[in-house]
Amino acid sequence: MTNIDPPAEAAEAAPDTPAGTIGASPASRRSGAGGWRSLVPRWSPKLGIGLSLVGAIALFGILGPVLTGDPDTIRDISMTPPGGEFWLGTTQTGQDVLALLAHSTRGSLQIGLLVGVLATLLSAVFGVIGGYVGGAVDEGFSLFSNVMLVIPGLPLVIVIAGFVPVEQRGWWTIAVVLAITGWAASARVLRAQTLSLRNRDYVAAAKVAGEKPWRIVSVEILPNLLPLMASQFVFAVILAILSEAGLSFLGLGASGSDTLGTMLYYAQNGFALQREAWWWFGPPGLVIALFGCGLSLINFSIDEIINPKLRTVPAAARRTRGRTGGAEREGRSAAARSVPGRGEPGRRESGRDAVLTVENLNVVYRGEKPVHAVKDVSLTLGRGEILGLAGESGCGKTTLAYAINRLHRPPAEVTSGSVVFHDRDGSDLDLLALGREDLRAFRWSKLSMVFQGAMNALNPVISVRAQLEDVLTTHRPEMSARARRERCAEVLRLVGVDPRRLDSFPHELSGGMRQRVMIAMALLLDPQVMIMDEPTTALDVVVQRGILREILRFREELGFAVVFITHDLPLLLELSDRIAVMREGEVVEYATADEIHRAPRHPYTRRLLDSFPSLTGERGAFIRTGESSARERPGSGSGAGTGTKTIVKEAGSR
Amino acid sequence: MRYYARKLGFYLVALWAALTLNFFIPRMMPGNPVDTLMAKLQQRGGATDPSVRRSYELLLGTDTGEPLVVQYLSYLANMFRGDLGVSVSVFPAEVATVIGDALPWTIVLVGLATALSFLLGVGLGALVGWKRGSWLDSLIPATTVLAAVPYFWLALILVAIFATGLSWFPLNGGYDVILTPGWDGEFIASAVYHGILPALTIVISSVGGWLLGMRNMMVSTVSEDYILTAQAKGLRDRRIMTRYAARNAVLPSVAGFAISLGFVVSGSVITEQVFSYPGIGSRLLQAVENNDYALMQGIFLVITVAVLGANLVVDLLYGLIDPRTRAGN
Amino acid sequence: MTTLEVRGLTKDFSIRSGLRHSRLRAVDNVSLTLTPGRTVALVGESGSGKSTVARMIARLEKPTAGEITATGPDGRRVADRAYRDHVQMVFQDPFASLNPFHTVEHHLARPLKLHGRARGKAEVAQKVEQLLERVNLSPAADIAQRRPHELSGGMRQRVAIARALAPGAQVVIADEPVSMLDVSIRLGVLNLLARLQREDDLAVLYITHDLATARHFSDDILVMYRGRVVERGPADEVILNPQHPYTRILAAAAPDPDVRDRARLTEATGIEPAGNSALPGDDPGCTFRDRCPEAFEACARMPEDFAVGYDHYAKCWLRSGAGSAGRPAAGGNATA
Repeated sequence: MTNIDPPAEAAEAAPDTPAGTIGASPASRRSGAGGWRSLVPRWSPKLGIGLSLVGAIALFGILGPVLTGDPDTIRDISMTPPGGEFWLGTTQTGQDVLALLAHSTRGSLQIGLLVGVLATLLSAVFGVIGGYVGGAVDEGFSLFSNVMLVIPGLPLVIVIAGFVPVEQRGWWTIAVVLAITGWAASARVLRAQTLSLRNRDYVAAAKVAGEKPWRIVSVEILPNLLPLMASQFVFAVILAILSEAGLSFLGLGASGSDTLGTMLYYAQNGFALQREAWWWFGPPGLVIALFGCGLSLINFSIDEIINPKLRTVPAAARRTRGRTGGAEREGRSAAARSVPGRGEPGRRESGRDAVLTVENLNVVYRGEKPVHAVKDVSLTLGRGEILGLAGESGCGKTTLAYAINRLHRPPAEVTSGSVVFHDRDGSDLDLLALGREDLRAFRWSKLSMVFQGAMNALNPVISVRAQLEDVLTTHRPEMSARARRERCAEVLRLVGVDPRRLDSFPHELSGGMRQRVMIAMALLLDPQVMIMDEPTTALDVVVQRGILREILRFREELGFAVVFITHDLPLLLELSDRIAVMREGEVVEYATADEIHRAPRHPYTRRLLDSFPSLTGERGAFIRTGESSARERPGSGSGAGTGTKTIVKEAGSR
Repeated sequence: MRYYARKLGFYLVALWAALTLNFFIPRMMPGNPVDTLMAKLQQRGGATDPSVRRSYELLLGTDTGEPLVVQYLSYLANMFRGDLGVSVSVFPAEVATVIGDALPWTIVLVGLATALSFLLGVGLGALVGWKRGSWLDSLIPATTVLAAVPYFWLALILVAIFATGLSWFPLNGGYDVILTPGWDGEFIASAVYHGILPALTIVISSVGGWLLGMRNMMVSTVSEDYILTAQAKGLRDRRIMTRYAARNAVLPSVAGFAISLGFVVSGSVITEQVFSYPGIGSRLLQAVENNDYALMQGIFLVITVAVLGANLVVDLLYGLIDPRTRAGN
Repeated sequence: MTTLEVRGLTKDFSIRSGLRHSRLRAVDNVSLTLTPGRTVALVGESGSGKSTVARMIARLEKPTAGEITATGPDGRRVADRAYRDHVQMVFQDPFASLNPFHTVEHHLARPLKLHGRARGKAEVAQKVEQLLERVNLSPAADIAQRRPHELSGGMRQRVAIARALAPGAQVVIADEPVSMLDVSIRLGVLNLLARLQREDDLAVLYITHDLATARHFSDDILVMYRGRVVERGPADEVILNPQHPYTRILAAAAPDPDVRDRARLTEATGIEPAGNSALPGDDPGCTFRDRCPEAFEACARMPEDFAVGYDHYAKCWLRSGAGSAGRPAAGGNATA
């Protein structure tokens, strides 16, 4: 996992703690979803309403016709309003509307179900098989389904229905025609998903294991497609019922069978609305609308399985919405207040003025099981200093970095502590108390950031120039267009990228170049602090080396301070002035790079150091001929020894 | 360039497929199609003299005894000349003329309504997705009801309320029949006045789909790294929402235009019927009722070509708004 | 014991640009031999073609040219049908290489059954537990019933290793097996692989971008650059006494906890790749010459493998006259 955003990091933290793995508590086992259980939607009010709507209407369609009388019975009580014997009134010819509705609902459901099944089967054949087999078969299948997709369905159905004589237009004929014209959209969706699943390593692994293709499709791929197919099936059913209603309304529907569409057709031809017989015209449409609505609501829950990002944000976090953090309450007035008594000790550390002081910062991910991602962290960043923040995934280093700039998102929340920025001009800014607008103005102009995945950190659809100029137009509105252009070209030159690249889009740049563009962007406003979150992790070593060299050079020339976050401790030893080692939310060791190199005090620091065998020296912890059982107990992701708390405090209070 | 060439090629193939489908549908019907059609015509008490039979035979090519391939090729040739045959119901008008009269009505009505519902749906969807967790979320279930309502049912209810009941809008038609069609202010005002209710129906029942799709994409996009970067850059919320989130989130909606346009066009056929709108949808149904097969096929082709054309335009536009497609991979 | 012999392995990918097809040679004439009990490391940066070599050996890709021959313990060539009994692969990303839908047991039971290593429910269950215990996952019965998302990254990779062993394979291709894992558990997983290798006398191909683990974990190192093996030799030789300019740049760029020197950071280490190669795809010369600080006229022609030491070769014209003694390494400061 190299690409971790804060919530994922917190989620990752739980299973990696020794307690969460071996002898797992039943609770933690049940909390995750996998296998068939993963296919069951999470309960939500929406799902409840959807299921009850669909269930009630289905039940009505199944049992209704048995309980109500013969709908075709003609009585001489024309157009009686609801009430008495006839709950929903009667039609022009005295038919019982309720009985009619029950039979029609059954008819429509029948067609919907049949079309749903047929269309899903067709789309699975064309989408999944095409996607898996690839090559010419896929080209052919996908061309075919795309053509079917752009040819408008209903006009085609109308033409076909126009040619088929009425007596041959049974409900299943209509169903088959609707299925043939309605499968293409979902085939396209299934194909795209199959293409992505086909390239997963577990499919490759199954091939290497010697599985047969049909088994790979049916056992390895298909189960992971089921939620998507379910959602496509639901769509097909809604569409079929609607299309059938339309056709029947036009007099082109199934002959001799009751559906909601034919019921509406007769109601319209009997001038139901004109004669204000709303009880005749209203219910069939309402049943269709409610059934469709119920299915859509069920689909929401299925969508949440397919795309977990759509899940509802926990209620607790809703109010704060991340960007504003939990500190809005303090308001603007506190923004520029000085922080007496706090800054003084910090300011003198390592012989530099402090530019950023973090004290006793705590960040918690709210949720059923709150995760304390950052615990009582205190750090001081000197002016022009490079501070390394080392740790493994889930240790809270990224969460900490985001919290400094209040970029953390719900459910993360800063529960206590302070972050103070000491400006060049001598004033102090309490970042956690900054008002919304002041915080916005503070960001990037005083403190800029470089994120890990430069591919994802740049907006893919606008040019490099637009992304650079955005910063200037927002923060330096007084700048002329010409000055903006020059400044953008200047920073690109600084990082060694040809200014002609300004008109490029991110996908046209190599990984190293994108990261350089990110750094150029971070330099635009001449900030005093730059936070770099694994800026070189995804890059090759040679490129990494080049970028590190630039960072050092800028630090010398431009004098900003850097917080450099990485799991690569040897890199930090070379690069940084001081290093803070984090583990499970705590800073376990905080010392100069030299001290950590010569005499690491915390066992976890030593363990991390030992994890990097020396390129040129001895093997160290690497014992190739036998397993070093003492160092890594099976299953414990990051389980170092205990009894480290004392050193934590010692290190933290230094 | 490769992207555009591919797209153009695809639409040519789709056009060919539609033409072919159009050719084969009547020929795939069970039994002798001419006999079937004649029987249908007879049921409705239509004229069954030999000249009608002859025109059907010509249309379906059952008289010549020519091989199917030859028929097919001459059919294609006729299509490229724009010769769609002669309409039976509006005899002796050319099918092309009949369609030419009806087409502008539909294009304006459906085109404007679609554009409006797309903009409205995408705009609202972007807002709802951006403000996730606020009261706007409660809009979503409401849109699903709207999306699941049958077009014609909604249209009829709107007519009952706004035309019959409140008399705000005319009951049906495309313009006031006392006027002669022309480019004068009075006529255009009348056409707009008559178009409001049908357009409203189309917008109401199709806006939900756009809204939902956009909202879901927006929610996914908001958790992307470049949104975080934009926030760290200290940009204003509005700018992040439009230029960073919505700009990216709208791409699938545009790419999926084909799917939705098919729905809208299908729905508008029925809507036109409800409003007796002088568009191509009403014409299609009249043709079906009158067993005017040449007109029926001609209209199907024209609708298909129009949908293909609209999709081609959107695809070309997509190439402009997503720079990645231009790279050709 | 199975031996794997790779000769002249070449892979072309066709790239469509416009209406023209062009070929990209991802792997060019790679040869290597895997013998029981020994590890060969294939080192290179992203895009060097090392993973393509792995996928070809695992028969996930078809070579454009070249031969891959497995020789069984009986000294006879392994038939195509039985190839997967002998050669297995461990993938880079344990989060992707296990199917989220299935239990750990499924992942191990399938290869056991497919390769006839176990029949009947009881025997399969028993073998699955044995496998899990061999990779230090216990309690095995409990782990077997879990699904991938209930395991940490390290545990998943252990399951993936157990899966590779399940068919009784003697040749294991490990494609960056630890690069996706947390640093503190990487060595544990590598040590596990090493132990299994010792116990079963496995032949291992270790594919990595990390020079340090390549040096300590393997006997021989092959350095790949743009599809070609530019240097090969005994692990310590290649790392401590690199002969190809590319290997030197790589070695100099890697952070080394033992050589903590910020000055090293500031000195120029080589020319960064300018995005895509500046050389045309069908360039006949040395592929490194557009980045090479020491390039000269001869480099426009394809260099051959020149011997630079005992069993140590470099594909570089600079070494053409070096003979077996080799020139004093320019990167010799690394050993200081």
